[in-house]
This record gives sequence, structure tokens and C-alpha cells, in this order.
Amino acid sequence: MTTLNDALGLKVTDAEAAEDTAVGNAVEVRHTATIDRDHRETVGEIAVENPRMVCRGVDVFYDDKHAIKDVSLDVGCNEVVAMIGPSGCGKSTFLRCLNRMNDTIDGCRVTGEIKIDGQDIYDKGMDVVPLRAQVGMVFQKPNPFPKSIFENVAYGPRIHGLANNKADLEQIVVTSLQKAGLWDEVKDRLDQPGTGLSGGQQQRLCIARTIAVSPEVILMDEPCSALDPIATAKVEELIDELREQYSIAIVTHSMQQAARVSQRTAYFHLGDLIEVGETNEIFTNPRHQLTEDYITGRFG
Amino acid sequence: MWCVGIVNSMNNADASPTPSLAGGSRGTIALVRRSLARRRRAERRFRLYGVSAIVVALIFLSLLFASIIGNGYTAFLQTYIKLDVYFDPQIIDPSGERDLQTLSRANYGALVKQAVSDLFPEVTQRREKRRLYGVVSTGADFTLRGMVLANPSLIGQAREVWVPADDDIDMLVKGNIDRDAAEGDRRLNDRVIGWVDRLTEEARVEKRFNTTFFTSGDSREPELAGIRGAAVGSFLTLLVTLALSFPIGVSAAVYLEEFAPRNRWTDLIEVNINNLAAVPSIVFGLLGLAVFINFFGLPRSAPVIGGLVLTLMTLPTIIIASRAALKSVPPSIREAALGVGASKMQTTFHHVVPLAMPGMLTGTIIGMAQALGETAPLLMIGMVAFIVDVPGGVLDPSTVLPVQIYLWADSPERAFVERTSAAIMVLLAFLIAMNALAVVLRKRFERRW
Repeated sequence: MTTLNDALGLKVTDAEAAEDTAVGNAVEVRHTATIDRDHRETVGEIAVENPRMVCRGVDVFYDDKHAIKDVSLDVGCNEVVAMIGPSGCGKSTFLRCLNRMNDTIDGCRVTGEIKIDGQDIYDKGMDVVPLRAQVGMVFQKPNPFPKSIFENVAYGPRIHGLANNKADLEQIVVTSLQKAGLWDEVKDRLDQPGTGLSGGQQQRLCIARTIAVSPEVILMDEPCSALDPIATAKVEELIDELREQYSIAIVTHSMQQAARVSQRTAYFHLGDLIEVGETNEIFTNPRHQLTEDYITGRFG
Repeated sequence: MWCVGIVNSMNNADASPTPSLAGGSRGTIALVRRSLARRRRAERRFRLYGVSAIVVALIFLSLLFASIIGNGYTAFLQTYIKLDVYFDPQIIDPSGERDLQTLSRANYGALVKQAVSDLFPEVTQRREKRRLYGVVSTGADFTLRGMVLANPSLIGQAREVWVPADDDIDMLVKGNIDRDAAEGDRRLNDRVIGWVDRLTEEARVEKRFNTTFFTSGDSREPELAGIRGAAVGSFLTLLVTLALSFPIGVSAAVYLEEFAPRNRWTDLIEVNINNLAAVPSIVFGLLGLAVFINFFGLPRSAPVIGGLVLTLMTLPTIIIASRAALKSVPPSIREAALGVGASKMQTTFHHVVPLAMPGMLTGTIIGMAQALGETAPLLMIGMVAFIVDVPGGVLDPSTVLPVQIYLWADSPERAFVERTSAAIMVLLAFLIAMNALAVVLRKRFERRW
């Protein structure tokens, strides 16, 4: 194991390796990979029949560092795309390109083409405000505003002018909380601070806040990494329900989670998109050696 | 494997001389035990340093307070003398028209002199008489005038009136003049002391709360001098300072922290702001003199100039504190707002600035407290002038509390010593109140995330 990691230039702690081995063992993998480790072209079908977002030849640079190398991937309507890969492989960076959250990082440069409903989001005339209303985001750490639960959800609709009056706004808040499966837990304390909720509730509050502006795509950056298994199960259930109305791209470190919630899975490695495919296929029948190494837990 | 890993890493962290794992976990624990006493000693030693530092600081602080309060508390009392005044119509209003002009210009001094010499009919010599009249303050005239103007029907009647004693008499009554010293070495001769003793025996001398100290402006006579003028001047100056420095400082901080690109120019600006915070304040005074008074021709000695100069001085403090407050707002809040489609502006003003506000307010109040205690730059712009009237606006000539303290500390009269300390107490009270406000604001608006 050590020699393999050394060969790949990866630093893996014992603990991580142990954990990932456990994960790998949980998924039954046939050793089917036929494509050599040095192969860097994306394996599998990147396009879908009914795409919501289309990315072609995306490169991202942080100053001189080439963080994402020529990645092409579609996000289909009403599907969950999971992005997996070792830490620092660029999956979060790629996700943040999809609603231009990378704009806030100094020295970050994005080239290539990312289109939503046929419109290039990096076009000069494109305004990030409507884009981010269209492509919402849920972050790794639950980050509710230090305001009341109601205000947390109402903030988006209010700044975008989605509600004409107070009743409308309340309706949006209630519906969003219901969709996020949080309504029953918070309906009696909407005026309490959102930061007083438990971690899992906070994350669902953030999801409610995101869906309150009725986006088309929801990006989730490791939404369950700070949650316990019970809260994680709830959020995963929620993701599955949300798929009926939204397109979802999710970055996760948990391969079981990817297997449970997604229809398609993309495996990233050091800035390259190595393999894309149906989630079932990827986990049971990986074609690229690196994918197989990762999901069988040979390296983190 | 786990266990070995942990032991191994502990050994490495400790940089212990036994690198092998041969001793196993037992060897490690022995090593830890051995070093324990040393670590505990270091801990105790450090705590001792801390406690002694605090104790020394407290001793100095209590020395300061003891000296100021010990010197100053007597200034809150003032000696008054009871006179039997006959409001002589012949002196006040010979024509009998009760015209306000006549009443306010009448020679009330003559009434006071008359009342004093009635008490001591045996004093007839001119020089002695002048000395006798000096027992009561020159302010006694104003007391009588005030009474008559408020109630003209007093004219023609006799009344008992308490008038302030002269500052030397005040000092004698308060025990600040040594009666045992040789006659030539003290401010009052035996004769005057005799008069005062007689007045005391007749229960005509009393120490009362010194309202004059809080209600009047500066004066050459200590018993008539008050801090109202300086306090109002300080208030107006701080008002100008706050009105200018808070919006400018906060806007500058928000722009630099949230909107400005990071490049050579903003680095240069940042370095300069940090430098300005360390510039001696008198330099700002010179700048104010050259620019605001000489170039723009603004009125000298006025709170508006003082406020402008103190704004220059407090701006760096406010900008630095505000930027630190903005920096401490977690980026996750910004991301959350941007993530739901808030514009940069909305993110900043709906979320970041409100969260940073307690820090900004604290910085501002500390800056204001600094400005309240500032003297040097105000000397340069003429706020050190002797001004009797309480200023009515930001364009009126005025002085400020610390400058008043400086002026009084410079005065030769013994009675100004205690007034200086009293003024320091008032200034300290303002400073403590402002800093307490800063703490309260921070506690109240502090939010957790």
C-alpha cells in the first residue's frame, strides 16, 4: 500500500486509508478496470440527453496553479450528479465554477465554456446575481445567517423581489421549509435565531434558503461532511426528493453517499476528470484504473 | 498499529532522547511523569508573573486615583460667608424706575462692601478696609445682582445672603494655609485670620456644595471658575469629530476591506493609514493650523477646528479597528449571501457590516475617548485661550477639558490645585463612562455564529 501511495505521490494517513478501505469494502467491486493509470482523457459519456448545464473544456487557474484541466461535463435535468475524488482534486473548484462563486477568490481564472440553458455564464454580459438565483449553492459547513429562521429563508426572495406582499413571502418561506423537511421542527419558533438549530437542522435551513429563490440547479459542496449519520440520512432523503424539481450537483467524500443519492458519478483526480458514468456502473464496473483504485480504497 | 503510531508521534513531538519504541508505552509515561514537575513549575512561575504584573498595575492605578481624589475632592465644596445685605434703593436704583438696564448696571459691589464693613465697624483704615473687602469673592456682586434681577421687590429690604468667600479664605477654612507659619510666609496675615475666625464663631462661614464649579465657565478667580465651558467645548468638539470620523472611517474601512482590489495602491494606503496612527498628535495640530485656519480661514479656537483636527487623529484608529471587525466576520456569511444571489453591495450592507458593527462602534468609542483626552493638537489651533463664556455653538471660541486642566495646572493660585484635580476627576468620569459604553455595546450586539 505504501509503495503504491508513494508511486502516486500521494500522502495518505493511516486513519484515512483505514476509513476508505472500509468504505471500499462496503461496495462490491469487480476488478474490471482496463484503462491504464496514465490515461488522462475522460472515460465515459460526459453528455446527457436533456442537459441543464453544459461544460466544455473548462480550465481553472489559481494564479499559476492549474487546478482544473480541460473538464467537460453535463448536468442533466432532474438528476443528481455526484463528484468524487481525493482531496485537492478540483471537484469543489469545478462546482464553484458553475455559479461563479470562484469570482470571489483573488487570482482565480476560468476559461472554457459553461452554459446554462444555452447561455454562457462567463459571458461578459452575464450578471452573476440572476445566475446565482438560478444556480443555488449549499456549502460544506452549515452557514445560516445570524438572524431568525424566517429571515434566513425570506432573505433571498426579498432581495430578488419574488414576493409581492407579506402573505406571499410567508407562503414562500413555509413552502421552502416544508420542501426542506424542516417545517414540522421549526414551525413554532420561526422568530428564533437560525444559528440556534442543530447542525443537521441548520444544513436543511440552508437548503430551504437556497430553494426559496426557486433555482434550477442546486450545487452542494459536501453538504453532509459536518453532520452525524442521522442528519446525513435526512439530507440525503431530501436530495432525492429535490431531484424531482431541480438539477443537483453534489461534491462528496463519502462514496456510499454518492452511490445512494446520485444517478451519475464523476471521478476527479488531480484536476482531471477521469471517468464519468452511471453511478451503478462506476461503482461496480469502473473502467479506469484510477477510479478503481479510489473506490476500492487503494488510495484516498 | 494504531497504538504504535500514536506512541511514535508522541515521542517525536517530545523530541525525547529515546527514539526507539523498545520501551513501549510504559517508557513514554515514565518520561512524561519526569517532565511533569518541570512543566508544572513553569506554569506556576508564569501565573506568578501575570499576577504580579496585575498587582503592580493596580498599585499604580490606585496611587493615581488616591492622589487625584485626595487633592480634588475638596473642590466640590466651597466656603460661603453670610452677609446681612441692605438692598439700598439709593445705590441700586436712585431714580426708582426699576429699569432693567439700570438694575443690571448698578454698583452691587458697594452693597457688599457696606455689608462687610457693617460686620467689622472697627476697621477704618483704608488699606485695612480694602483687605477686609477682599474676604468675600468679587463674585458676590453677581450673586446680589442675580437676586435683584430675579426679584426687584427686594430693593429697599434687608436680607441674609450667602456669598462665596475669596479663594484664600476658602483655602484657610479648608486648612490648606498653615496658621503656624511665620506671618510673612503665608498669603493671609494675622488680622485677616482673626476676621475669619470671628466670622466662624458667629456661624457666618459655611462650606457648601460648589455648584459654581459645574455651572460656570473659566475665571481668573478660583472660587468663580467652573468647567462648564470646557465640558461643553469638549462635547461640541467630540460631536464634530464623531460626525466626521465615524462615517468617513467606516466607509473607508468597508471600501478597503470589501471592495478595493488588492494591489500596490491599496497596500500603500494601508501602510500609510497604519503610519498615521503613530504620528504624534501635535503634528495634526500644526496641519490644522496651516490648512484649516490659514488656508481655509476657519475661526480659530472653535470646536469645529478642534473637531476637524481630532478627526484626522482618530481616523486611523477607527479605520484599523473597523477593518479588523470586518475581517473577523466569517467568510461563510459572505458566501451564504452571495450564494442566494445577493450582490456584493447587499452582502456587505445586509450581513457583513451589521455583524462588524459592534467592533466598529467599540473602535469608534475608543477613538473618541482618545480624542476627548487629547491636548497637544488643540494647543496649536488656539483652543488654549482663556475663555469665560460657555460656547453656544461649534463656531464659538471655546476650550476643552484637558486644555482646561492644563490651564488650571499652570495657574499660581493655591485654590486652582484642587480644581485641577477635580477637573481631572470629571474627565476621568467621562472616559470611564465612554469605555463602559463601549463594553456594553460590544456585549449587547455581539453575535455568535
